Order: sequence, then structure tokens, then C-alpha cells
Amino acid sequence: MTRNTDGVLSRRKFLIASGAAGLTGLAGCTENNSDSSGGDQSGGDGTSTSETEQSGGDGSQSLSGTVDIAGSSTVFPLATAMAENFRVEHSEVNINIQSTGSGGGFANYFCPGETDFNNASRHIKGEEADQCSSNDVTPVELKVATDALTVIVNNDNDFLGEGLTVEQLKTIFSAETQPTTWSDVNAEWPDEEIEIYGPADASGTYDYFIEAIIGEDGPGHRQDYSATEQDRTIIQGVQGSEFAIGYMGFAYYSENPDAVQAVAIDDGDGDGYVEPSLDTALSGDYTPLSRPLFTYPAQESLTEEHVAEFARYWLKKSTSKKIVADQVGYVPLGEEEQQEMLDKLNAAIDEA
Amino acid sequence: MATDTESGYAEGFGQVSRTVGTVFRYLLLAATMFGIVTLAVLLVYVANDAIQPLTADAGWHLTFFLTLVVPTTLVGGYLYRRNTDALKLGSTVVGMLAVAVLFSGGVAIVFVDIIPPLTGFSYAVGLVIPAALTVILTKYERQISFTPRVAATGAAFFLSLFGVPGYLHSIPELVQKAPVVPSDWVILALVLGGVAALVVGQYIARIREDATAGLIAGVAALVVTGLAALLGPLLGYDSNSFVVVTAVAVVPTATYAGGAALTRKRERIGLLLAGTVIVGSLVGAAAVDLLGFAGPQSWVNWQFLTNPHSSSAERAGLYPAIGGSILLMVTVAALSFPTGVGAAVYLEEYAPDNRFTRFIDVNISNLAGVPSVVYGLLGLGVFVTYLGQATGTVIIGGATLALLILPIVIISSREAIRAVPQDMRQASYGMGATRWQTVKNVVLPEAFPGILTGTILALGRAIGETAPLIMIGAPNVLFSLPTELTSKVSAMPLQVYAWSTLFASEDFYTKAVPAGVVVLLVVLLAMNSIAIVLRNKFESES
Amino acid sequence: MSTDDLETDLTRNTENTPRELLTRSFFFLCAALSVVTTISIVGLLVVEASKFFTITAPLMDVKGETASLVDFLTGTTWQINNQEFGVLALVSSTLMVTIGSAVIALPLGVATAIYLSEYASAQARSVLKPALEILAGVPTVVYGFFALIYITPALGVVFPGIGTFNMLSASIVVGIMIIPMVASISEDAMSAVPDELRQAGYGMGATKFDVSTGIVVPAALSGIFSSFILALSRAIGETMAVTVAAGAQAKFLNPINPASYLEGALPMTAAMVQLLNSDITGGGLAYRSLFAIGLVLFVITLIMNVISDYVARRYREVY
Repeated sequence: MTRNTDGVLSRRKFLIASGAAGLTGLAGCTENNSDSSGGDQSGGDGTSTSETEQSGGDGSQSLSGTVDIAGSSTVFPLATAMAENFRVEHSEVNINIQSTGSGGGFANYFCPGETDFNNASRHIKGEEADQCSSNDVTPVELKVATDALTVIVNNDNDFLGEGLTVEQLKTIFSAETQPTTWSDVNAEWPDEEIEIYGPADASGTYDYFIEAIIGEDGPGHRQDYSATEQDRTIIQGVQGSEFAIGYMGFAYYSENPDAVQAVAIDDGDGDGYVEPSLDTALSGDYTPLSRPLFTYPAQESLTEEHVAEFARYWLKKSTSKKIVADQVGYVPLGEEEQQEMLDKLNAAIDEA
Repeated sequence: MATDTESGYAEGFGQVSRTVGTVFRYLLLAATMFGIVTLAVLLVYVANDAIQPLTADAGWHLTFFLTLVVPTTLVGGYLYRRNTDALKLGSTVVGMLAVAVLFSGGVAIVFVDIIPPLTGFSYAVGLVIPAALTVILTKYERQISFTPRVAATGAAFFLSLFGVPGYLHSIPELVQKAPVVPSDWVILALVLGGVAALVVGQYIARIREDATAGLIAGVAALVVTGLAALLGPLLGYDSNSFVVVTAVAVVPTATYAGGAALTRKRERIGLLLAGTVIVGSLVGAAAVDLLGFAGPQSWVNWQFLTNPHSSSAERAGLYPAIGGSILLMVTVAALSFPTGVGAAVYLEEYAPDNRFTRFIDVNISNLAGVPSVVYGLLGLGVFVTYLGQATGTVIIGGATLALLILPIVIISSREAIRAVPQDMRQASYGMGATRWQTVKNVVLPEAFPGILTGTILALGRAIGETAPLIMIGAPNVLFSLPTELTSKVSAMPLQVYAWSTLFASEDFYTKAVPAGVVVLLVVLLAMNSIAIVLRNKFESES
Repeated sequence: MSTDDLETDLTRNTENTPRELLTRSFFFLCAALSVVTTISIVGLLVVEASKFFTITAPLMDVKGETASLVDFLTGTTWQINNQEFGVLALVSSTLMVTIGSAVIALPLGVATAIYLSEYASAQARSVLKPALEILAGVPTVVYGFFALIYITPALGVVFPGIGTFNMLSASIVVGIMIIPMVASISEDAMSAVPDELRQAGYGMGATKFDVSTGIVVPAALSGIFSSFILALSRAIGETMAVTVAAGAQAKFLNPINPASYLEGALPMTAAMVQLLNSDITGGGLAYRSLFAIGLVLFVITLIMNVISDYVARRYREVY
């Protein structure tokens, strides 16, 4: 009982005392906080997305808001790099990027209207476009880079000569033929076992290889190969065995051009064997193993200034060798293509 | 254990082969140590990768060895031989300071960056006014019966927080629109310093059994906090963060140490250890600065803690993930603590012994065994697909993780409640208390330390979880702190996972990921040690 | 509380006052939430998984592709691109992680429990028990990272052919992770063995070794067994460590053959994370397979929990 009243008494005393101390503090230190008045108004309106500390903003139109991006894990590093650079200039824009896969991004995030952009390593499919339009989401297709697959063999391999044809590649990797020795593919080649390295079947590179070489309705990719999730391991594997072959993203090959040799590919369109390189991928000669990468902004989101600005920024930087090629490892857009995409984007922004 | 003494008798019979027993004993010890040693080795490796102590100058190591390691070892060794209780007190103070500084970092993120101080202040005022009214109402008007009192309290809070749209401004609105508002550091000093002053005052008043002493201590705490704000800029630090660290870390630790010095005469020499560590670190830091020795090239540095993600491992930071983890933890605690304790109270105090109760009982223990990834599916399916919430937000993540740890909270709270002696309940009922009064005044206060321990351990589990966050679609990369319950959120383990899979390069493996792992582990170890210390204290008291 | 309150309280029926009713219903709702959670989990998994199978999809009014239930349960190939959903490929690697971690955690856990309950001094216990708790408190994604970055290269010295991702390192970390679970539940069971039994043993001239292995362990067997099952169920549900360290390529491996532990494969939980995280065509069949795997996982862990509960109750020696 006594302890209790003591507690109450002291608590009350504290309230009074701290209140008094607070008041003196207020009286002493209150200032007319003019620079926070802008923040106050926006806070009162409840437009919380733009509620930010305005202390640094000196009147120049500083953008703020949130950009949500989902989609392909292939485009993910590019989007991340772009977002990082964009935020150097517009630090008040929040950018959230998620790697969900092209299809998962469309189906679960973009078309239901949750995200502003969806990255994709392929064109949008018909049923995905239908799903989007039924939710009043209009995808705007923008090409942002080119990805090139590279087939690699050991540096000591000299029997391939000029390179491989698409037919030969298909023979090597198809589940139907499954040659065990090189001589099974071409009688002139040595009677040695083929060691095959490649990415695991969950990767976009694997999907793309099937699509480009074996054909989606074809027999499928053979399964008796050393599947790995890390490109490092593919390079190591091929480096270690004279009769090995493997394939991977061009970016990883370009970081280790001396460890293995890239195979030139002939797709039978008359221009012979084409070596993979930034130039051949850009010019469109390196077919079919180069593919465009896209991002799809939603036209409805482009009405928001910060989303539109980010899309413009991305396209403006899509020719930057520094970001696209060196930092991420894809092939940048050409000037012409960039202009075409910018026009398309601006038209979409105007329309929206 | 009584058996310990028995082996003494066995010796009398001679001739029993002791080899097997000895070998067995050491095998058991080796088995016990296996996991612990393996983990310790791994921790050394990851800490070495993250902090790189070998990159520091030899002079740097030597300086700290002389100013910190040697004196601490000497003092510690002396205390260990003379007075282990004092050693315990000393290490408690050091540990408390470390944990409190860590905690103050979290508080600073929440109250400076996530909630702008003015907004926080306006809501604090909006909550304090009706709370004060309620206290006055219950203290002076005992005649009002329960229902109108609840109604009046509810109305007071509602009016204060939301106002009447169109007619009456809510108090937070009024405060935010006030023409003259205090600057940020004043707000922080008032609110955090006020809370610290209240706690300090209560503590001193209790140990000194003197309300006036408490009052003086409280005012002193507030004044110190205010002074820190003025002192901060002089030392070249931001006054906001200085206030937070002072109010949350320095003042409480100093009070605890001061209180121990006053009341525990035999053990107070242990404070020497705390003093040695603090002075040693400060002197060491000043000395290396003066002598120009370079410290280690640690990847866990200020920049790592305050930067967002970057595609280059050197510049990548953990800041949004740290803020996200804190917000998630607050949400999880707010959701799971009341419901978990409520369920435990129901099952222990109210539930009739029937089939439904037994079903709930079995059900909870089964829920505790459901894999976390399935909880992730639950969050994805129920919250996102069926309730149509946006993916990856703080509230969805918090709710999913809260469901995940709910069974653990319930089970540990039930244990704590069961440990409350039946006599105490009987005594309370004997005094004519109702069931609710017994629960509120006897059971919960008695069981509180146990409940708290269980909840902290469960929260530790929650912030270490990754799979449910992936399932509900939390973004892999995000550049700014979540500021609302509906913002997208990342978390420390998720960021570590994203770095180790999506950015799987040698650079990330050797720099950003180890640094992230170390930060995550430090936070978790701090939480676990709080829980363990609390439990030991609680167990030794009861 | 003052005496006034008590006086008024004494004069009325307190069970049904608004305050008592309100608090009691609040507590009841909290307890009932756990039932709601279970119902939601079961309902969601059953409904969503039934959209996946050809046999049940018409009931759910799902158009589009479906997969055969029989193929799902008996197939050994998991290739989403080829529409092959043989869950046994995933189950086999989950089984491998479970076996691998059991080999590590069960003996070590029981040995730890015996040491803590029979041999360790109070002081040693006060250090060892928190240390074990920390073992259980390290986030699983960190264990995964440890396995990938430190343990796999170390294993590579012994087994040169080991893959970057392999079941062995994943099993080791999962094993370490579940040691505390085995140890703490087993230790509880051993501590519950009455001291009289031990005294009787010593009275017969038994050594401490005889008492520990001949009396305490057999008496606590039901508790030890139930700790095994609980820990294995935890290993089955473990997600992040295997996602990071075990691999991403679904493969049907023979769990009995030690050589297959050097290869990487895709356990069920990792497959679920992968389904949400990679370039696999989203929506559609692959997305729904997520819930089918989830259902299998849930059923397996549920059965194990129930068995563990049953064993602990049914075979407990009551003294």
C-alpha cells in the first residue's frame, strides 16, 4: 500500500517535473521552423508518398515517389544498375526491384497492376497481354539491351575449325540424338567423349538456348550434362577438359576471354561463321544466339512523372557501354534503336 | 545432481574398469562440442572475411592491445580471483552498454529516418493527452462503471487521434500545423529523454526508496539528454543521433551502474572493469588517431551500414534492409505478443477441459512444426491472392512472420504462466478478485519475465527468416527505407540471400555477404543474449 | 487496487460482468486464431493444389493445363519446361538432406543430451546450454552461406569431384542446425527419469557409464525418439540452407548411395523458392505446382509431428 502511493506520488511528480522541464526547453529552444512548413502541408494532406524531408530541395523540381519493378532475372542486374544510377540524381525516388522471372512477373505482379515495370527476356505472350488488358494495364514494349549466348570449347580444341553450325549444335544438345562422342556428330572429328557443361534448367539461359537452337516444340535439351548454376563452374569445366563444350551468357565469357575459346556460329543465312562479340550482336549478325531484352512499363503508370522520368533515363543510358556492357555485361542499344524506343516511349507518355 | 556424489562410493570397490567410462565421458564431451566448435570456426572465418583484422597496421593492434586488452585482462583477472560477483556486474554493464548502443541505433533509424520527428511528436502528444485524461478519470472517479468508462476512454483516444473529419482537427494534425514547432532535436530530447527520465526516476526512486531522489535523477536524465544535443555539434556529430544515443544507451546504462554503485557495496568494484573497457577504447581510439595508425579495412563500416544496395560489392550497403528488419520486428511484435499471450492466458487460466481445448492444444504444437516456407505460401495465398493486398509490404511480411512465431510465443508464454505458483492465484481469489483481476494483477506480472524471454527468442527467429519473405514477394533490391506499413520491405537475411544468389560473384562472396552475415549475427546474438540474461535472472530469483 | 474495488466486487456475480466477458472473449479469440491459421493453411493448400491436378481441376472449375496426379506422385523427373512434374525427384533430395542431417544430428544430439543431463557440472551446463541455443538461433540463410562458401571448398580437398552445390554440405549444416533440438528434447526426457532409478543402478555396483547407457537412455527412449522425429521434420522443412547450398537442378538421386551426396539436387523447399524466383514461366501450371509441393511438404511434416506426439504420449514411462 505504502509503496504503491509512493509510486503514484512520484509518477505524478515526474509528470509535472518533466512537463515543466519540457516547457522550459520549448521556451528556450523553439524556433519558427520555416523550412519544414512545406513538409507539414504535404503531411496534412496525407499524400504520404511525397512526404519527405524537403530541407535540401531548393525549389528545383525534385522527383519523389515509388517505382515497383518485377520480372526477368536476366534483366534484373541491368534494372538494378539503372536504378542505382538514377538515384544518384533523384534520391527521393524509391525503386523496388524483384526478380520473379518474365512470366511470373507478368502474371502475378504486372498485369494485376502491382508493378510499374516488368522486365522480360522475351516478347509478351498473347495470354499475358489479354490478362493485362482485362485489368486495364497497357504494356509498352521497350527494348533495353541485347543478350548474347556464347558456346565455348577448350583452348586446345582445334578440330572444330571455323566453328559450328546451328544443326551441329542442335545435334550435340538435343535429347533426341544424344551423341556420346564427337565423331558421332561429324565423322571427321575425334572419337572422344563429349563432355557437356551448361546452366541448370531453371535459368533463363537454358530456356533461351532451347528456344533458339533446339526449338521449343522439339525433343528438348538432353539431361546427361553437367548442369551448374554458376557460370564460373562452366568455364572451369570447359577449361579443364580438351573435349568439353558448354554455353553461357556472353558477359561471363567476355570477362574470361583467355580461359576458353568462343565458337563461331553459322546459322546458314549466307554470312558464314560469326564470332560472338558486342559488334556482331549489335549488328544482328550473331544469330540465333543473341536475343533482345525488354522492359515493359505500364502506360497507366507513365502518367506519374517519376515513373516516366525513370523510363526515359533507362533508355537514355541504354547506349552506355559503361553501364550496360562493363557493369552488367549485355550489349548496349545502337543510337538508331535508342531513338526509336525513345519515340515509342514519348508517344506512350503523351497518350497516357 | 545427487549422482555426482555416488561415484565416490564406487571407488571403494576398486577393480571396476574406468577406461570405458572415461572414454565415454570424453566422447560425449566431444560430441557436445562438435556443433559449437564448428559454428565457432565458421564464425571466425566469416568475421575474418568481413572485418579483415589483418589489414590493420601492427601499431593499431599494439595500441589497442596496450590500452584495452592488457588493462581489461588485468582487472578482469583480479576480479575473477577475488570477487566473481563483481566481475559479473562489470561485464553486465559492459554488455548492457554494447547492446544499448546497438538498440539506440535501431531507435535512431525509426525515430529519425522512418518517422520524421515532428510526425512522431504529434502522435506522441495525441496519445499522451487522452492517456492523461484516462488516468485522471480512473483515479478520481471510481464510481463510473466499466462500460461507460471503456466508452469514454475509447472516445477520448479516437477524438484525439482522428478528430471529426471536417469539424474538429485531430491533435496530431493540430501539432503538425502549428505555426511554431520545436526543431527535431528538441522533440527527440523531449520525447526520448522524457521516457528515459521516467524510467530512470522510477528506478532510482525504487532502489533509494525515496521519491525525491527519483525526481532529481529523472530531471538529471532529461537535462543530460538536452545537453547531449548541444554537445553533439561541438564534437562534430549530428545532434539528433547524439540525443538518441544518450537517451537510449548512455543514460540507462549510467543509471544502472550508478544504482549498482549505491546499493551493491560488495560488488561495486566490478564497475572498474566497465570503466577500464570504456576508457581503454576511447584512449585507444584517440591514440591511433593521433599516431596515424590505420585500422582494418573492414567491410562492416559506417558506409556499409548506411548505404543502400549497389551493384558493386564495395559500395553495397545494408541500410534499407536494416530499417526493414526493424520495422518488420516492430510489426511482428505488435501482432504476435498480445495474441500469443492472450491465447496462452486463455488456455492456462480460462479454458474448460474439453475436446475443443485439447484440439487447440494439439493444433498449436503442430503449427509450431509447420515449415516456414508453408507459412510463406499462406501469406501469399491468403493475404495477397484472396485479400488482394499488395505483395511484399511491411504489414503483409509482419503478419506472415507473426503467424509463424505465434505458436512459439504461445508455448513459451504458457510455460511461464504455468510456472506461477497456484497459491498466488488462490490467494488472489481468496481476496475476492475476479478472474481477470487475478490474471492482470497476479499471473501476468509474475509470468512477465518468462513471457518476455520467449517472445524475444521468437522475434529473433522471425528476423532471421527469409523464405516467407521470398514467398510473399518482398523485393530483392530496394534503395530506401520503408516509411509506412504499406511500403515494400526488404530484410537483412533477404538482402544477404539476394547478394549470395542474384549477385553471385567472387566480390560479393568475399565482401558484402560476409559483412551482411556479421551484422545479422551481431543483432541476433544481442537479442539472444538479452533473452538468456533475462531468463537466468528470472530463474535465479524464483 | 484499493479495497473499495474489492468490496464492490464481492457483492456481485463477477463472471459475467462486461469486463470479464470482454477479456474472456478476447483471450478466446486469440486462442481460436491458431485454429483459423490451421484451417487457412489446409484449405489454401488443398484448394490451390487441386487446381493443379487433372483429376480435381474440373471440381475447381479450372480451365487450362493440368497435371496427372499419378505422374506427380510417381514420376522421377522434375522438368517444368517439359511439363514433367515428378515430385519424387524433389522428395528424393529432401530425403537425402534428411538422412544426411540425421547421421550427424541424432548421435551427436543424444550424446549431448546424455552429457548435459548426466555428466556436466552445473557450471558447464550454464555455458553449454546457451551456446547450443545460439546454434539454433543462427538464421538458416547464414548456414546456407557457410555451406556454400566455407564447407564446400573444404570438402573439395577430401572429395575432389564435389560439385559447387552438393547435398553433403547442405546436410552437414542442416545437421548442425538441428542438434540443439534433439539435445534439448532428449535432455528433458532424461532429466525426467527419476533419481531413484539411477540410485538403484549405483546400488547394484553399476558405473556411471552403465547407468547412463543401461538405465537413463532406455527410460527416456520415448522422449528421445520423439525428439528424433521432430528434428527430422524440421530438416525436411528447412528451406534457406538447402536453397543456397544444395543446388537448383532437380535430379532423382539414390539416397542410399553415398556418392550421390557429392552431387547437387533440388529439395522440395528449394524448389518452391526457385519457382517464385527464376525465369520459369509464371502463372499457369508451374505456379500452381507450388501449392502441390507445399501440400506434400505440409502432409509429410504434419504426419511426423503427429507421430512424434503420439510416441511421446503413448510410450512415455510414467513414474
